[in-house]
Amino acid sequence: MKVLVMGCGRIGAQVAETLWRGGHDVCMIDSEEENFLLLPKGMRDQEGSTFVGDGTLDADLVEAGIREADVFVAVAVRDNRNAFAAQKAKYVFRVPQVVCRVGDPVRQEMYSQLGLDAVSPTKVTAGLILEAVML
Amino acid sequence: MYIVVVGGGKVGSFLARDLLNAGHEVFIVESDPKRAREAIDSFGSITLRGDGTEPSILAATGVRRADILIATTGSDEDNLAVCQLAKHRFKVGRTISFINNPENETLFNVLGVDVTVKRTQMLLAAIEEEIPARSRVHVLPVRGDREAVEVDIPPQAAVVGKSLGEVTLPPHTTVVAIIGRDGTMKALADDTVIDMHDAVVALTSAEHGEALLEALTAEG
Repeated sequence: MKVLVMGCGRIGAQVAETLWRGGHDVCMIDSEEENFLLLPKGMRDQEGSTFVGDGTLDADLVEAGIREADVFVAVAVRDNRNAFAAQKAKYVFRVPQVVCRVGDPVRQEMYSQLGLDAVSPTKVTAGLILEAVML
Repeated sequence: MYIVVVGGGKVGSFLARDLLNAGHEVFIVESDPKRAREAIDSFGSITLRGDGTEPSILAATGVRRADILIATTGSDEDNLAVCQLAKHRFKVGRTISFINNPENETLFNVLGVDVTVKRTQMLLAAIEEEIPARSRVHVLPVRGDREAVEVDIPPQAAVVGKSLGEVTLPPHTTVVAIIGRDGTMKALADDTVIDMHDAVVALTSAEHGEALLEALTAEG
């Protein structure tokens, strides 16, 4: 599978590395090249596995290979940016599977209702913590 | 009407002033401290400093009872988020967004933002309004690349004295109103005669705007 990941933070790097080790064709897109240091060296050194650019711009998405992508993952820091890029991937570039990170539970719920696969780390983490403190 | 304007920069402020002058109830949200202070200086208590893409802030503007929400921030990501929240979470009837990067227009339209205004359109409209010789004024952008334009018929134009049926208009163009010099609406029929200084309002596509202008203003 060809997977495009936008946002090379800890979550993005972990997702990308796992998929890459699983043998998928992964390309990480981030505006700061130094963020790619979170990726394993083997992946960084591989041609086409990283792309310095803006994941909300058509031209950069196309150059990073969005037209061939089977999956698009938006896991940058800002919720609005993730939702924007994910909706562009889904409705403009018709990527078959799109997942995005939306921290704010209110917005996450809205985007889910609108048919977007939105994950809220806030909700997930709070859930795990609650589970841990339930005696 | 009650109108919430998210983004109190140049576009948002000018818009808010126009809307207030037209008698509307307006509320402005701006997140940048400096711009928010300027907006508070100009508009007072109808200004809130905060992130309008944050649902709790948006709720605090009374957006639930708003008739229209207008997003004018310099970020298309934020403008889209605001419009989607307004429409889907707060059930605002009409959402209007300023678009910074023209390539994003399709996305906004697909996602149900009612009206989008591109920076380039605004500039064109501003320039054309400043140049009366061109006789054409953008009235408003319509869905897709369509726009409504108003053409003032010059006295020496070839169409003066002709009937609407005799005038050849460019493709994808429909005349929606003809307003006479005295302000009365003319009936739209093939035998309606065009007089000098009639205002002809037509829907056309951006690419045919020039041809429309030519058809209505060329000298005979």
